[in-house]
Amino acid sequence: MNKVYIVGVGMTKVGKFYDRSIRELAAEAIFKALDEAGNERPEAIIVGNMLSSLAEQENLASLIADYAGLRGISGFKVEGACGSGGVAFLAAYSLIASGIFKKVLVIGVEKLSERPTPATSRGLAWAADADYELVHGISFAGLNALVMRYYMNKYGVSREEMAAWPVLMHDNALQNPYAQLKKKITIEDVLKSPVIADPVRLYDASPLSDGAAAVLLASEELARKLSDTPIHVAGVGNALDSTDLTSRYELDRLLASKLSAEKAFQMAGVTTEDIDVAEIHDAYGVTAAISLEELGFAPRGKGAKLVYEGRFRVGDKPVVNPSGGLKARGHPVGATGIYQIVEVAMQLRGDFPGIKAGGEVGLTQNLGGVGANATTVILKR
Amino acid sequence: MLTIQRVWRLQEKLIKLVGTECTKCGHVCYPPKAACPHCGSREVRKIHLPREGRVLSYTILNIPVEGFESKVPLILALVELGKARILTQLTDVEASEVYIGMPVEATIRKSPQMIEGATHYIIKFKPVDKERLKD
Repeated sequence: MNKVYIVGVGMTKVGKFYDRSIRELAAEAIFKALDEAGNERPEAIIVGNMLSSLAEQENLASLIADYAGLRGISGFKVEGACGSGGVAFLAAYSLIASGIFKKVLVIGVEKLSERPTPATSRGLAWAADADYELVHGISFAGLNALVMRYYMNKYGVSREEMAAWPVLMHDNALQNPYAQLKKKITIEDVLKSPVIADPVRLYDASPLSDGAAAVLLASEELARKLSDTPIHVAGVGNALDSTDLTSRYELDRLLASKLSAEKAFQMAGVTTEDIDVAEIHDAYGVTAAISLEELGFAPRGKGAKLVYEGRFRVGDKPVVNPSGGLKARGHPVGATGIYQIVEVAMQLRGDFPGIKAGGEVGLTQNLGGVGANATTVILKR
Repeated sequence: MLTIQRVWRLQEKLIKLVGTECTKCGHVCYPPKAACPHCGSREVRKIHLPREGRVLSYTILNIPVEGFESKVPLILALVELGKARILTQLTDVEASEVYIGMPVEATIRKSPQMIEGATHYIIKFKPVDKERLKD
């Protein structure tokens, strides 16, 4: 298998951009990523996206490639709900590792501000089981609320302990110029915020976001020519769980998170202890808590408690979500997995424009649905 | 959007609570699967789940998804039915009265969601009749 390197990254600010379309957001991220490698023309474009149907637009690979001056290259879209960026990265990685291509652009793009909130909420719930779950009216916040109540009850986790995650994420995002929510909050603010889906409150949840992020991947022979600071993609792992939350073996576990991490660790020849910096999928505070446990950063039932005790900040190992995470950087769903990879690549290069975590080995983990699919990526300087 | 043919197709599973049981390893699944997620065997048989169970977890939705705006707040629960679970609306109960472990039973009611102007019926769960429990 050929080695794969990141030779260019780019992203837009995350936010609600009523004046900007999918193709415009995508082109900004693509131009930044390609320009880092001397405006090198990729042989293929892989697009990660979940809900462009809200804007009545499919066929994204040709739309975006053509708009960005790349008519004639190869490409396709990959979908895995909120994990679309991660699976698009896996597809792009595979195309170079297999030797089919030497330069592949992967772009995640999403625009959730196009429709009224109930319509967008219904669209996001398409990531659950439409026939057996959405038919009863469950929202995505509702599914995570079911997990959060079960988790808090099983492990005796307090409401205050659960609130420490959003407070930390808002602190981190204050220094990230690309972040959507730049506002310091307190535990009291979290506990006073409106209840969306009891026990999930507004500040427990990631916001609705627009944004695009892009990565140019290259083979080993091209990497040094295109970049002075190529980042090695040392491992990629993906795993699937049930789409429905209903038939999970255990409600407080994320099987796909654990299995995808094991595959990525094995490929990269590293373990949990080697990770210096991580960007994990905190769509809700409880998702972060359980992911920390599945990745081996916290014992079972202790993820939220360790955050409350002050772990995972700058100076700790690992530093987790120095970007502010989905919670405060924002969660443009199909783009999120690529944002995470851009951010960790920049951390390892030393030029992330927010909190600097530093380090040699980084991890990203992107989930789709309530952890129905997971992609873990290990990056090395 | 929910369609008439989808409700018609699902009525047996949603109203008669039909799940699947693996004849090799015994794993019970709801929603039903074409093969066992636990051991991979395709030798699964249809079974009817119990119509009484206990609340495993619950939530109260204040922000509805499109189509459910008429029913806010909406109480939804994961209910344990023997070896399986269902995600379902709770009815005939106040949000403040629901608790983990609460005994509930199946009932057929109108869905808050309309399909092309028509109502449809769906399984919900309600607290087990306390008077009947005394018998």
